[in-house]
Amino acid sequence: MSEKNREGKRTARERMMAERAAQEAKDKRTKKLVVGGVVVAVVAAAAVTGVVVQNQRSKPETPVAAPTGAIGDKSLVIPSGAADAPSTLTVYEDPRCPACGMYERTFSPTIDQLEDQGKLQVNYHVVSFIDRSLGGTGSKHGANALACAQDAGHFRDYHDVLYRNQPDETSDAFGDKQVLLDLAKQVPGLSTPVFEACVNDSKYGGWVSAVQQDFDKSSYKSTPTVLLNGTPIYPKKGDEQISPENLAKWVDEANAGKQPGSTGSHGQSPAPTSTASEPNTPPTAP
Amino acid sequence: MASQQTAEPRAGGALRRAVDGPASEVIGLAARLGLAVVWGWAGMAKISDPAEAAQAVRAYEILPESLVKPVGWGLPFLELALALLLLLGLGTRIVAGISAVLLLTFIAGISSAWARGISIDCGCFGGGGTVDASKTEYAQEILRDTGFLLLAAWLFLRPRTKYSLDAWLAA
Repeated sequence: MSEKNREGKRTARERMMAERAAQEAKDKRTKKLVVGGVVVAVVAAAAVTGVVVQNQRSKPETPVAAPTGAIGDKSLVIPSGAADAPSTLTVYEDPRCPACGMYERTFSPTIDQLEDQGKLQVNYHVVSFIDRSLGGTGSKHGANALACAQDAGHFRDYHDVLYRNQPDETSDAFGDKQVLLDLAKQVPGLSTPVFEACVNDSKYGGWVSAVQQDFDKSSYKSTPTVLLNGTPIYPKKGDEQISPENLAKWVDEANAGKQPGSTGSHGQSPAPTSTASEPNTPPTAP
Repeated sequence: MASQQTAEPRAGGALRRAVDGPASEVIGLAARLGLAVVWGWAGMAKISDPAEAAQAVRAYEILPESLVKPVGWGLPFLELALALLLLLGLGTRIVAGISAVLLLTFIAGISSAWARGISIDCGCFGGGGTVDASKTEYAQEILRDTGFLLLAAWLFLRPRTKYSLDAWLAA
């Protein structure tokens, strides 16, 4: 009897211990499930929050304000030269891109001349993606200052001045608004309180972002991208290498039999003669 | 490991102690904090400019345009959440698993870009987008992500680490 009783006690204790172990295992599982649920919920909530927050923070693809005279369906393009010129040169360039600087220093005298003769209108897409890879704000601030110059009616001259004074790609000199304002003094009539405020307040920051987002979505991946009447001509048009002479020749070929546009209609100071720019270093591999 | 043990029993013993003994929790702590720094850095670098983050995703030319922005915008926050959880040591095994899946996805994406001959920066730590063909660093990027993958794999296999919320909850 006592033997049996002892045995029964032991089994009861064993059973109790087994139950407790089972309960503990169950608690552990529950705990694990709760932790897992919390972790997955946190990660998912973070991703959703990110989409919502960044959606609110991102600048619209259609800008709220665009510089005076900007063209295109979202007013992202700055035209230079007569609107009724028979040929259009479309240029995507970044104020900080060295290849763009090289391109501008080599071709701006020719381009300005073609504009003044009513042969060519240039459509500028002032993009600003170099800031992304190199850090800094020189592309964005430079692009904004160009938009401010467009407001003031001095886009072309200021544009030429900026590219002639372009810093090294790795230097973010254009990120310093004072540098941009100092360079504006080289353009007669541009340095006004209105222009200064426009530069200092990044008045066209939203527009600059919209222009870049448009470029992001385009099929063009590098700058300068230069199209003559829609055909890429930089660094080559077909087999022919671009040069100031070839550019003038191509424009004349495209314009054959067409009336030149009205001249001097852009309301900007005359282009410097072809010798007025800094010495043209021949473009090395762009 | 077994072969190592027969060849060099003492080294194998040390290895075993490192993997299973109390030292493993210290190694785990280092792996956990290391991976937390990686995710934290990667997340922070991609938050400031939403358009840039979207373009980094778009440049892979894998996702349709409708998914470019959600991924570009959501991913950095997801990375920050992983960093936070790793820092706390909460749900380490699950977080390590998600990390590993994410890293494998990145490696696949970079490899795919490399194989298709497009020239992009991976945009892993900000930046991204098209770069000059001479400036691509696909091998380094894949190697780096593989290193991070090893950290994640360790934590998945040995999720018990020192100073973790998991350990505190289990106590």
